Amino acid sequence: MASYIREFNEIEKPKDYYEGLIEGIEKLNGTYDAFNVINKSARTGFLFSTKANICVKGFETDAGSKMLKGYVPPFNATVADRMLAKKDFSFIGVTNMDEFGFGTFGINTEIPAKNAFDSEYVAGGSSSGSAVATAMIKYHVSVAESTGGSIAAPAALNGVVGFTPTYGSVSRYGLIDYANSLDKIGVMARSSEDARIVFDRIRGRDDYDTTCSVEKISSEKKSRIFVMDSMLSKADQKVRGAFERLLDRLSRDYSVEHVDSATMEKAIAPYYIIAMAEASTNLAKYTGYKYGAMSQDFYKQYNEFFTDAREGFGIEAKRRILLGTFIRSESVKDKYYAKALAIRSMIMHEMDRLLKDGYILSPTLPITAPKIADARKLSPVENYAMDLFTIPPNLGGFPHISFPYDYIDGMPLGAQLVTGHGNDYAILDFVKEWESSFNYTYKHNLGEL
Amino acid sequence: MKIGLEVHVALPTKTKLFCSCSMEAAEPNSCICPICMGFPGSKPMLNKAAVESALGIANALHCSIKKEMSFVRKVYFYPDLPKSYQITQMEGSIGSGGYLEIGDKRVRIRRVQIEEDPAQLIRDGALTLIDFNRSGTPLVEIVTEPDISSEEEMRSFIGSLRSILYYLGVDINKEIKADVNISVAETRVEVKNVTGIKSMIESLRFEIERQTEAIRNGEEIAKETRGYNEKARSTQTLREKESDEEYGYIFESDLTVFGTEGLKFNLPVYANEVAKELAKGTDVSSRTVSEIIMLDRDSLAQINRLRGRHGLRSIIHGIERYKKYGSMERMPDRVLDSIVLLIDNGKEVPKEAITDLESGKDAKVEYSELSEEQLDKLINEYVAGNPELINEYMKQPKTVNFIIENIARPNGLHPKVVARRLMPILNRIAESR
Amino acid sequence: MEDKEFDRLLKITRLRVSDGERSMIKKDVEQVIAYFDEVSAVDAGKEQERYPAAIPGRFREDVISSFADVDGLKRNSKMRNGYIVGPKL
Repeated sequence: MASYIREFNEIEKPKDYYEGLIEGIEKLNGTYDAFNVINKSARTGFLFSTKANICVKGFETDAGSKMLKGYVPPFNATVADRMLAKKDFSFIGVTNMDEFGFGTFGINTEIPAKNAFDSEYVAGGSSSGSAVATAMIKYHVSVAESTGGSIAAPAALNGVVGFTPTYGSVSRYGLIDYANSLDKIGVMARSSEDARIVFDRIRGRDDYDTTCSVEKISSEKKSRIFVMDSMLSKADQKVRGAFERLLDRLSRDYSVEHVDSATMEKAIAPYYIIAMAEASTNLAKYTGYKYGAMSQDFYKQYNEFFTDAREGFGIEAKRRILLGTFIRSESVKDKYYAKALAIRSMIMHEMDRLLKDGYILSPTLPITAPKIADARKLSPVENYAMDLFTIPPNLGGFPHISFPYDYIDGMPLGAQLVTGHGNDYAILDFVKEWESSFNYTYKHNLGEL
Repeated sequence: MKIGLEVHVALPTKTKLFCSCSMEAAEPNSCICPICMGFPGSKPMLNKAAVESALGIANALHCSIKKEMSFVRKVYFYPDLPKSYQITQMEGSIGSGGYLEIGDKRVRIRRVQIEEDPAQLIRDGALTLIDFNRSGTPLVEIVTEPDISSEEEMRSFIGSLRSILYYLGVDINKEIKADVNISVAETRVEVKNVTGIKSMIESLRFEIERQTEAIRNGEEIAKETRGYNEKARSTQTLREKESDEEYGYIFESDLTVFGTEGLKFNLPVYANEVAKELAKGTDVSSRTVSEIIMLDRDSLAQINRLRGRHGLRSIIHGIERYKKYGSMERMPDRVLDSIVLLIDNGKEVPKEAITDLESGKDAKVEYSELSEEQLDKLINEYVAGNPELINEYMKQPKTVNFIIENIARPNGLHPKVVARRLMPILNRIAESR
Repeated sequence: MEDKEFDRLLKITRLRVSDGERSMIKKDVEQVIAYFDEVSAVDAGKEQERYPAAIPGRFREDVISSFADVDGLKRNSKMRNGYIVGPKL
C-alpha cells in the first residue's frame, strides 16, 4: 500500500462511518489502552492522534503523569495547529505514553498501553499509545515524539512505521519537554508515504521555537548500508537471525558493509546523562499551583507545599529528577555532564562521517516484545540497555525510521535506518521501496472500508 | 575593605524578554502568556531589542563582547519563579572583563548578563498573591569585582553607572536592585535584594559597622547571605540559607547560541568626561557642569547648542534658573535663549518672566532686550505724554494698573517689570508736587 | 551514595519518598551512577556538543502581541482579586 491517506480520500465512506469507527475504537481501547482521551466528535477527514505530551487546546494533555492530571492546555502545539489548519485531518484523541517520555516499554505510567498484537506484551515506549493506535486503526496516523527512541521502539513492537525527523525540522512549541536538546516530534503511520505527507504538513520554521529552523530536506539516495557488528552481537539470537535474513535480501540492491564502531556503542550512558540533566530542570516547574495536580493547603510554607505537590511523580520520574540533579551538581558536573557532551560530539562526528557515504541499519530493538510482567522486573540499567540501537541517532539528531520487516511467533520486528541531517526523504523513500514487496500483517483493522 | 555589587537593571523594551507580552500592564495578570507563565511546552523567543540594549551597556562598560552568547538555566524553587528555573547567562554572558571609571580609579566589571525577572509577590495575610505581569521582564545584571573600597566610592560608582545607563535610555531611578557583597576583613557577606540607591548605601553602612564591631570584639564573621530590612535599616541573616542550595546551572538548549555581530546599539556618553571637556578654559568647574548633565540629556543638548553664542556660566545659570520651574525636556529653545540673554545683560530672571515665556507670549520676549535705562526712558516718555492719567493716579492710586498695562502691552513688556521701574518714578513725581 | 547526599538531593528537588521507596530508589540511583561512571573511561577530546545540529539563534522583534486566552491560563489556579494564589513564603 502506497498511501492510506490518498486511498481514504478516494473511497466512498458510509454515512455513519465515524460513529461506527469511534465506537470500535472505544471498545478496543478497553483492552489496549492506546488512548487517554478519545474525541467522539471527529466527523471529517483522515484521523490523527497525538501523543499525550503534545498540547491540543481543549483536550487533557497529561504527558502520562499524575502531575498533569486534568490539565487542559489553553493553546495548541504548533504541530497541532498545522494538522488542524485545514479540514482534511480530524483529531481523534490523545495517546498513552510513559510518564514524561521516561521509558522504552510504555509501562512507566498508571495504566500502560498494551501491544496491538497481544495484550499481554508491552506496547513499547514511550509513544506507546501512538503505535498501538496506528496498528489498530486502518486510516489513521499519529503525531508522536522521540527523545532517545520513543518513536522507533513502539513502532517496531507494533509493526508500524515510526519516523523521527532531523532535530530542528519540526517545531517543539507545545511539546511538554523531556530533554530539550533531544526531543523531536515525528510520525507513526502504516506507510512511509503517509509519514511523509504528515511530516511535510508539520515541518518547517516556527518563530515560537528558536531551535526549529531546518527548512531544506533532501532525498539523497545512498547505495551503501553500514551494519555495526559489535552492536549487533548484543541483540538476542532470534532478532539477529531475522536481521541477517533482511540483510541478505537488501544485499541484492545495496552494498551491505560490516563496520565496527567503538564510539556508537558508548552512546547510552552519555545520552542518559544529558537527558536526565535536562529533564530534572524541565520537571522543576511542576509545583502544584499553576496547572495540573494542585496542592490545596496554601497556608503551608512553599517548600512543604511544593514537596506535597511533587509526590505525584512516578518512581522513574523521581529517579531521573534525583539523578539529573546530582549530575548538575558543581562537584561532579565536569565528570558526567561535560564528559557526556564531549562523547556526544565524538559520536556525532563519527556518524556524520559514515552517513555521508551510506545508511546505518540495525534492528530497532535488541529483543522481541517482552511480556509486561517480565519487563517490570528489569532494573533501570537493564532497561536503558534496550535503547542500544535507538540512542545513537537520537543523541545526534539524525533522522531515522523504524519499519516492520519480519514477524516472529506472530509478533512484529522492526529495523531502523539512519541517514545524515536533513536527508529525511531518502529514508522515507527507502522504506517506500521496501513496502512494495513486503506484506504487512495486522491484527486489527478498525475503520476498514 | 572590599565591596562588590551585582546590580539589576530593567531594560526599556516594549515586550518581555522571551515572549511578546506587553510590559505596560494595568490589571494584575493581564499581560501574560504560556511562556512567561512557564506553561508546559512553551519555549522562549529572545527579544532582539533587549539584547541590543544590553549590548549598549556592555559596550559602555568597556566589556569585551561575546561573538556568540548563550543562556543557562539557574534552578531554584520559589513561588515567584514560574518554571522553577531562571533563564540567565554565565560563561555565555554578552559582556565580560570591563570596567567603570570613578575618579582616578577603575572598578572592574566581571560580567554583564541578560536575564528574566520573576513574577511579583504580594503578601495578603498569610497568603501569597502572584502577579505574572512582571514575570519575564528583561533585566541586565552588572557584576563588579570587589574593587569598591568605601561608601564614597560606592556612591560615586552608582552615580556614574546611573548616568551611563541614563544616556543609553535605561532609567534606574526607581528600578535599581542590587546584591551588595561586603568584606570588611576576609569573610564575604552578601546582602541580597536591596532595592533603591538609598537602601544600598544604608545597608552598606550598616554592614560596615556591624562587621567592624564584630572584629573589634574578636568575633568571627560568618560567611553568609543576609537580607536588608528597610524599616529597621538593618541587615539580618536570611532564614533559609540559600548557600545550601545549588543552582545546578545547565545550558539552555531551547535557545542555542546567538551571534551578536551586526546588532545595533547606542554609543555611551560619559557625563564626567563630557563635563571636563566643556569646562576646559571656562570659569566654571567641571563638577558643576557634571552635576547639571549627569542625568539630563536635554541640558547637555542646550549647553552644546548655546555654547558658541554665550558664556558657559550664563548658560548654566539659565538652565539652573529654568529647572526651578519647568522641565528641560519640554522647554522650547527660545525660552532658554531669552533667559540666557537676560542673564548676559545682567538682568534678573523672575519667575513670571519664565511663566510668560513658557506660555508662548512671544512678544514679551522683546522686553528682555531692554536695559534699565531704556526701560526708564520709555516710562518717562509715557508719563510726560499722558499728564491727565498721572493726575488721576495722584487722586486714585488704584488706576496705576491701567498705566502699567498701557506701557507694558504695546511694548511687549511684563507688567511687573514695568511696575518695578514705574513706581519709583511716580513716587518721585508725587514728592515733587 | 551517602545518606546525607541522598537527603540533600531530595531536599533541593523538593521530593519526598516513602520509606519503602527510599531504599529501592537509592539503590537504583547508585546503580545508575555506577553505570554513568563508564564515561570516565572514554577518551572523547575537548569538543562538546550541546545540541545536535548547527542551529543559529534567531531573534524576535520587539513587537507586542497578546495571548488569545489569558483566562485559560488562570483556569487551573486559585484566584483572588485577579492574583494567582501561591503558597506561603
